Amino acid sequence: MSPRASAETALLLRALHAPVELDEPGWDGLLRRARACGLHARLAAAQAATPGLPDVVRRHFLSATRIAAYRRKLMEAELFQLAALCDTGFPVVVLKGAAYALQRRRMATGRFVSDVDLLVPAAHLRTMEQALLAAGWRSEALSPYDERYYRDWSHETPPLRFPGHSLELDLHHAITPVTGSLAFDPAPLFARCEPLAGTPFHALAAEDQVLHACVHCFHDGDLALRVREVVDIDGLLRELAVRAGFWDNLLARAAELGLQRPLWYGLHFARAWLDCPVPAAVLATLPAPAAPVRRIMDALVARAMLPGDLDGPPSPGVRLARTAMLVRYHRLRMPAHLLLPHLVRKTLLRLRASIAAKKEAPDASAP
Amino acid sequence: MNEVTPYRVLDVGAAKLALRSPIARLHADLDRVYPHLPETTHGGFADVRVSLLPGSPLRLRGRQVSLWSEGERPFEPYPIHSALPLFEWGSNYLLSQRLNAYLLLHAGVVARDDLALILPAAPGSGKTTLTCALHLAGWRFLSDEFAVIDPDTGEVLPMVRPAPLKNRSIAVIGERDAAVLGPLYPGTRKGDVAHFVPDRDSTLARHRRARPRAVMFPHFEAGARLHCEPLDSAAAVMRLGLNSFNYRALGAVGFRAAVELARRTKAWELRYGDLDEAIACIETLFASLP
Repeated sequence: MSPRASAETALLLRALHAPVELDEPGWDGLLRRARACGLHARLAAAQAATPGLPDVVRRHFLSATRIAAYRRKLMEAELFQLAALCDTGFPVVVLKGAAYALQRRRMATGRFVSDVDLLVPAAHLRTMEQALLAAGWRSEALSPYDERYYRDWSHETPPLRFPGHSLELDLHHAITPVTGSLAFDPAPLFARCEPLAGTPFHALAAEDQVLHACVHCFHDGDLALRVREVVDIDGLLRELAVRAGFWDNLLARAAELGLQRPLWYGLHFARAWLDCPVPAAVLATLPAPAAPVRRIMDALVARAMLPGDLDGPPSPGVRLARTAMLVRYHRLRMPAHLLLPHLVRKTLLRLRASIAAKKEAPDASAP
Repeated sequence: MNEVTPYRVLDVGAAKLALRSPIARLHADLDRVYPHLPETTHGGFADVRVSLLPGSPLRLRGRQVSLWSEGERPFEPYPIHSALPLFEWGSNYLLSQRLNAYLLLHAGVVARDDLALILPAAPGSGKTTLTCALHLAGWRFLSDEFAVIDPDTGEVLPMVRPAPLKNRSIAVIGERDAAVLGPLYPGTRKGDVAHFVPDRDSTLARHRRARPRAVMFPHFEAGARLHCEPLDSAAAVMRLGLNSFNYRALGAVGFRAAVELARRTKAWELRYGDLDEAIACIETLFASLP
């Protein structure tokens, strides 16, 4: 059994790789579905050469392409400014989107960038953060509690932003939460990271990039509409699979870092949804979840990640699946003795904020 | 309701908007502010497709309405009687995100004989009032919110939608001959809002592009004496960029489109305290163009 995508979503996922022929109402639905999960510029890139596109569809593709290109320019500008600070004695690794762009990966075309993620060795985290603050980056004022949450329990510092810039900068010292069950010493990541020619930055080794994409995809909040991260995994795999020994190296590295389960999920969903050419033997080598767990995850991940009804609010089934994924995320992120007090505290604060907000009159014209 | 309520399609010129809602008041309000548009429910392509759904009837502080777009709710809910302002504001926002095939200026646009006068301005500078007053003085209404410029041809595309008048402008425009206003929405955060309805001819001409001829940056100031000053092209380009939704995002395309627009037009800065004086000044300047 495999996780099912609706016929409309299956069409969208197919259209990310091959030209499709549709009438205007068909394009309308496909573009909306792509927009819902942030894949419209990628759809535009995949369908740019499709013959017989209606003019209006061409215009929307052009619009999405321009915005993706603009966001990429903003990201490049951010990196250009960061470069001056990154000629350090330790490796500064760019993660995810920024790395895909600097590596000129095909899958970076039409990929919307929303932030810049940097990874530095934990021993140099403070130095890097101080350098950023000295150069003008600022973090939002946090309560002492949130500050401590980030410092002690997270794998990143509070998000930074250069005043006036629209991109956020996240500074990581690990790729998994330090209190979670997937936590591991990131030293091997730095041992094998590769310099990016013409820049002071590094990128993770190819296998580590795949593993990071998998960890990020299946271990981040409620997974709402995260299908685009499965599309990332699929794009990486298609590009890297041609390298000799890639699959063996990937399996060995996953075993070494204890990331076999996230890898299994990544490969499984990339294959089920995007027809990613993952050799069956590779998937069979990885320890799969037990059949009942797998069935439940297939159903929940599909509901949480794939776009559903576009005409109204998410269905109760989708909301339930997202809540379940959020619970799973917290459980994997923190042990219960840390998690329960944390959630109680956050819930109380949220309640207090919502009571305070209700005192304000409703408003009919403000953004 | 998905099977039951069909989408109502509004073709406003540069864009097609599709909406559906079970809220009867919204449809009645739409009938009033889009009286000249044929009612269509055809299933073609729409640039924006939204649902306006009522919230719980049990909410203590009054029932609300939410705008849903692609399964998400991008804005805070409005009180349910304000579904029309929510639709107008929300769909304009969504258009500003999606129409990047064009250079989008935050501007009113009117035309005589398909020669367009573009009025770019920041919110609060009297742009809507002046646009409506010019339309009532005989100019074709192309848009109140967006100047939609095709970077390939330099032409401006009409986007004929009702113009939201606020507070004192409601009476200023409402008192003029032939002015048609939609329902009043009192007490929004911006104050009272009522929509000015463009005339039938302008609505029917919503697919007829116009050639930009003049750009005027208006600024209303109570009691101010009329002051009109020409701007050179370089200054005009800079100010067009400042009054654009997507000048930066379009990069080189946006720059070239703004430069072309400034080269092909004459630009002025207009400060005024009396609407009729401003209109007379604009008429004279526009007529004097070679």
